[in-house]
Amino acid sequence: MTEARIAQEQEPPERRPQPAPRRRRLPDLGPLPWIGPALLLIFAVVLWPAFEMLRTSLSEISASGLSKGFTGLTNFERLFADPDLVGILTRTLTWVVIVVTITILTSLALASLLNAAFPGRRLVRWALIVPWAASVVMTATIWRWMLDGFYGIINRILLDLGFLQGPINDWLGNPSTSFIWLMFVAIFVSLPFTTYVLLAGLQSIPKDIYEAGKVDGATGWQSYIALTLPLLRPALLVAAIINMINVFNSFPVIWAMTKGGPGSLTDTTTTHMYKLAFQLLDVGQSAAMAVVNFTVILAFVLLYLRVVDWRRA
Amino acid sequence: MEEVSTHMTKRFSGLVAMGAAGLLAVTAGVPALAQDQTSIEMIAAQYTDEMQPYFDDLAARFMEENPDVDVTVQVVNWNDIDQVVTTRIATGEPPDIANLNYFAAFAADDLLYTAEEIVDEATLADLIQGFRDNSKFEGTEFAVPDLASDRLFFYNTAILEAAGVEPPATWSEVKAVCQAILDTQPGVVPLALPLGPEEAQAEFLIWAGGNGGQYFDGSDWVVNSAENLETLNYLQELVDMGCTQPNPGSFNRTEGAFQLFGEGIVGMLNGAIFLPGELENTYQSDVEWGVVPFPAADGKESITLGVQDYFFGFKNEDGSNQEAIQRFLSFLFIPDNYAAFLEAAGGFLPATVSAGESMSNDPFLAPFIEVLPSAIFYPSDQAAWGSVQGAIQDGIGAAFVPGADKQAILDEINAVGGE
Repeated sequence: MTEARIAQEQEPPERRPQPAPRRRRLPDLGPLPWIGPALLLIFAVVLWPAFEMLRTSLSEISASGLSKGFTGLTNFERLFADPDLVGILTRTLTWVVIVVTITILTSLALASLLNAAFPGRRLVRWALIVPWAASVVMTATIWRWMLDGFYGIINRILLDLGFLQGPINDWLGNPSTSFIWLMFVAIFVSLPFTTYVLLAGLQSIPKDIYEAGKVDGATGWQSYIALTLPLLRPALLVAAIINMINVFNSFPVIWAMTKGGPGSLTDTTTTHMYKLAFQLLDVGQSAAMAVVNFTVILAFVLLYLRVVDWRRA
Repeated sequence: MEEVSTHMTKRFSGLVAMGAAGLLAVTAGVPALAQDQTSIEMIAAQYTDEMQPYFDDLAARFMEENPDVDVTVQVVNWNDIDQVVTTRIATGEPPDIANLNYFAAFAADDLLYTAEEIVDEATLADLIQGFRDNSKFEGTEFAVPDLASDRLFFYNTAILEAAGVEPPATWSEVKAVCQAILDTQPGVVPLALPLGPEEAQAEFLIWAGGNGGQYFDGSDWVVNSAENLETLNYLQELVDMGCTQPNPGSFNRTEGAFQLFGEGIVGMLNGAIFLPGELENTYQSDVEWGVVPFPAADGKESITLGVQDYFFGFKNEDGSNQEAIQRFLSFLFIPDNYAAFLEAAGGFLPATVSAGESMSNDPFLAPFIEVLPSAIFYPSDQAAWGSVQGAIQDGIGAAFVPGADKQAILDEINAVGGE
């Protein structure tokens, strides 16, 4: 906008015969027709729903779905009085930190592999897209079947290899093993996207700096630490933030595999929010959870950006 | 295939309606829709895949007799129907008729017509009194029962014979039978205990009821009663002795219990009246089974769990839909139409006296009708029931995780009713 104004003011006066006051006002509104649709879109699909969410969280909604009006912070009070909430929040934190960390580390290795030349690279690159292209619900459902205590192929294999004694090892029924499997599947479905972001980052690094490194006598590992990683920083940053938001909001993996159960022992705040609305028929409290979720993820991202000092990137 | 045929039927009935309207327009020489045309919409529960064809046919025949009313019926599966109905209410566009397993929350918000307003006198008089009593909210009937079910204790004849035992009648006999099965047939799960979210509210109540427990005692929520805690402890003993599958809190009815029973891996389970039909049609099972009344705690009375579902009508602003609702629901309860409804729904108990009489000779239904007097019901006349039910489905399974505080879990569920 400033540039536009400067450009117009620098135009020779004889080509702009309008009176001075109009000339000064017009440039301010000038860009509006161009950014207007975007502003409208942002208002309609971002701001308005967020406002509605906030409004619902401050309203009393009856079990039949009827709004009974403003109720202050009652929904939040009830949400925080729930003894399960602490466990759910801790689990959500564990979920995000572990899934994102392992995803990034594994993807880094995979991206480096895919960046190297080897026979069959094209095939491997294609194969990595599969878990991404498949629907997450489908992937999670297939894992649930594979992990089934009675029929699952994983138990069958372990049994045949002699690692298991009894026929029933109920991986997903027991919260201590099911949450690990949930994280495993969440990592599995997050890998392709992250790997491709990092691969794109690796490919944008000019090759000659490695030659320069070699001339200076850097070993492979040294050039990875000193050259690759710093230059990969923007890609890592993007991958980490997108993953954090995705994993935090991840619903289908947990829902398809355990529905957050038994009880709320494999719930994250996202599945808890769903249960509040559609099982406990408490839309107001669910909206309060949504507001908390929104705040938490915002805090997460800001904290992360501060820790990695993003402006340096 | 179901999808296709449903659409075809819909389109077909649409064509019929259009054809009829066109004919009317030609013969009468006036625009067909000039007279007072009322449109009503019903959201119905998907008991089976036969429901949509049934309702499409019913609506088409009704509209033939009542050209001034347009009826559309949308059949929605059980997982989504609550959301569909509440979303419609939240957006200010409730359906005219709904078919659900709870109604009191809607009555509490003053959204419903009374029972007399949604069916005619003859129909109302024909409904079984016990079911009518369960359709009241604060003393007024706001819904009519559409059908009901109750439960018996199913057992796999071959497994019990191989163990050399008779089906159990008491809690201690259940343990003895379990032990006998465990001793003779490794790999068999003696008792399926599905306390996962799908149907935990039913599974827990039928065990607790055999110990004199309830969810609501007439004035207060008593989910956390001593009887219910004892029941949880007893069920925990069954889990610990290996009588059940390992994690009851993550084990569901349809995918778990019914499936395994159908495959002959499960010895005993709580089965509703529609289980035999499911075994035959869904699981293609040829397992031989028998039924006995549900085992009760030693020295207590055996009970069964009765479950009834409802039809209810939503008021619109000017009350203009009431008459059409009443005509359509009364049409549905005409004996032939109602018999077809029961058939489409697949093996439930009828809600009318007349249908009950004609079905009481059915040898399959007889044992289920016999135990009906001892039935306990959900407190569905309470506005909070929908929420409490959700809390039980979601929460009770956690009681079987090692180290769980069972009393605290029951207290937490109970608190949902009090809010």
